[in-house]
Amino acid sequence: MPSSAATPRSFPRSSERAAAAAVTLRGVSKRFYFYEHRTSSLREWFIRRVLRRPLHTRRAEFTLRGVDLAVERGEAVALLGRNGSGKSTVLRLIAGIYQPSAGTIETSGRITAVIELGAGFHPELTGAENIALYAAVLGLGRKELAARYDEIVEFAAIPDLPDTPLKYYSSGMEARLAFSVAVCLQPDILLLDEVLAVGDQAFRERCLGRLREYHARGGTLILVSHELDQVRALCGRGIWLADGSVVMDGPIDAVLAGYRG
Amino acid sequence: MTRGEGHLQRVWRYRELLHSLVVRNLKVKYQRSLLGFVWTLVNPLFTVTVLGVVFSHVVRIPLPHYWAFLLSGYFVWNFALQTLNTGTYIFAEHSRLTRSVAFPSEILVFGAAGSRLIEFVAEIGLVVAVIAVFHHGGIPQSYALLPVLVLIQLLLVVGFALPIATLSVFYYDVYHALPIALTTLFYLSPVFYPATMVPEAARGLYFLNPIAGLLTLYHEAFYWGRMPSFHLLGGMLVAACTVYLVGYAIFRRYASIFPEIV
Repeated sequence: MPSSAATPRSFPRSSERAAAAAVTLRGVSKRFYFYEHRTSSLREWFIRRVLRRPLHTRRAEFTLRGVDLAVERGEAVALLGRNGSGKSTVLRLIAGIYQPSAGTIETSGRITAVIELGAGFHPELTGAENIALYAAVLGLGRKELAARYDEIVEFAAIPDLPDTPLKYYSSGMEARLAFSVAVCLQPDILLLDEVLAVGDQAFRERCLGRLREYHARGGTLILVSHELDQVRALCGRGIWLADGSVVMDGPIDAVLAGYRG
Repeated sequence: MTRGEGHLQRVWRYRELLHSLVVRNLKVKYQRSLLGFVWTLVNPLFTVTVLGVVFSHVVRIPLPHYWAFLLSGYFVWNFALQTLNTGTYIFAEHSRLTRSVAFPSEILVFGAAGSRLIEFVAEIGLVVAVIAVFHHGGIPQSYALLPVLVLIQLLLVVGFALPIATLSVFYYDVYHALPIALTTLFYLSPVFYPATMVPEAARGLYFLNPIAGLLTLYHEAFYWGRMPSFHLLGGMLVAACTVYLVGYAIFRRYASIFPEIV
């Protein structure tokens, strides 16, 4: 795996390698506001304005604090950490869904982020129509979709898929359909947020196989998963996050050992 | 999302998504419905019939072929009403999408307006044909204005829908206030009466409501069959562009934090 160059807590690579960076985060912080009081009606807004009271009282909490991170093209990286440690926030920032509160994020190449499987699916539409819709949501053009449509249907392996409305699918089949679209997209950078736990055993293994193939062809993969065996099978590098900071960054076995601790 | 990209470029880059959303809205609405588009016509035609009976037999509005007057404006009002209604709920309805995919979220509002627009074009086509045959007995020159009027209407309605939808992300009051505002607007706009019945002293104030100007344009072009004054047409073009640009600017200012809130 090309990520063997990663050593614990060493983010900036030498300058000639920086040219191959797929994702670079420099000093990235993300602050969310949790509102203790929030003016949400016009009457209150007016009264508070007249009395010169603050409209909102809120406390800021850092979900990420000064994260530096560089992922090279062709790397497969796992983000590890407990719930609420900031893993999904990192993915959303890289995908451009959130804007950082401080720091800079650079990416190169087309990014597909699968944060929630099947966001944009509509239960009344058929499988084929949902494939088209989800592909458009993930940024695939109509011509590109036409070229990959058969592959998606084949990979999902759902009988009567194209003509059945989505609401008659089981939840497992729905997730399989979404995953099939996502893995058949062939982006430069693929971000997956805990979406590997879909379908039955056989389907999961095919997903893993497909992701390995994607990685072998030079695709960059960043994933969040709590299934540590899967993570080990797929990723060469691990990044362990706790309380919004990087605790450990390096070869997957070392980081897993530290994380399981 | 590339920063510093212009508005039109952003929309162009996501044209496939816009297209898919418009197709989805129409498919979801019309599938498994035997009468399909007929239902879309039945609702406004029913209202037009009721208004027509009430305001030509009970409260008498002295216009020849009052039905033609009603038809020439009511569908425009209906477009504004429905687009503002669906537009306002659009971000709450698509919260999963907004939270998990990076895309310009105005596309959702454009998609709602776009599918409504396709229906409107079909409706207004029928309506102006009926008026031409049974009211004018021919096609007046002013009919050529239709594309310009539709453009003004689209800019105006989307220009209002964007900031209202933005506000609804932060303040749920909007859901309570909007129906009241729309009912008020219905009476303050020349839907079932001509703007000329408004007392002259109040007319300056009255036309501060741009929907009033829009409906008057439609009445001029399709009911009276004459060219509207340059003053009205030019003024409405400027007003529509202004409303759109201001509305879009308000939306843009807050759109980047939608994923954290919806």
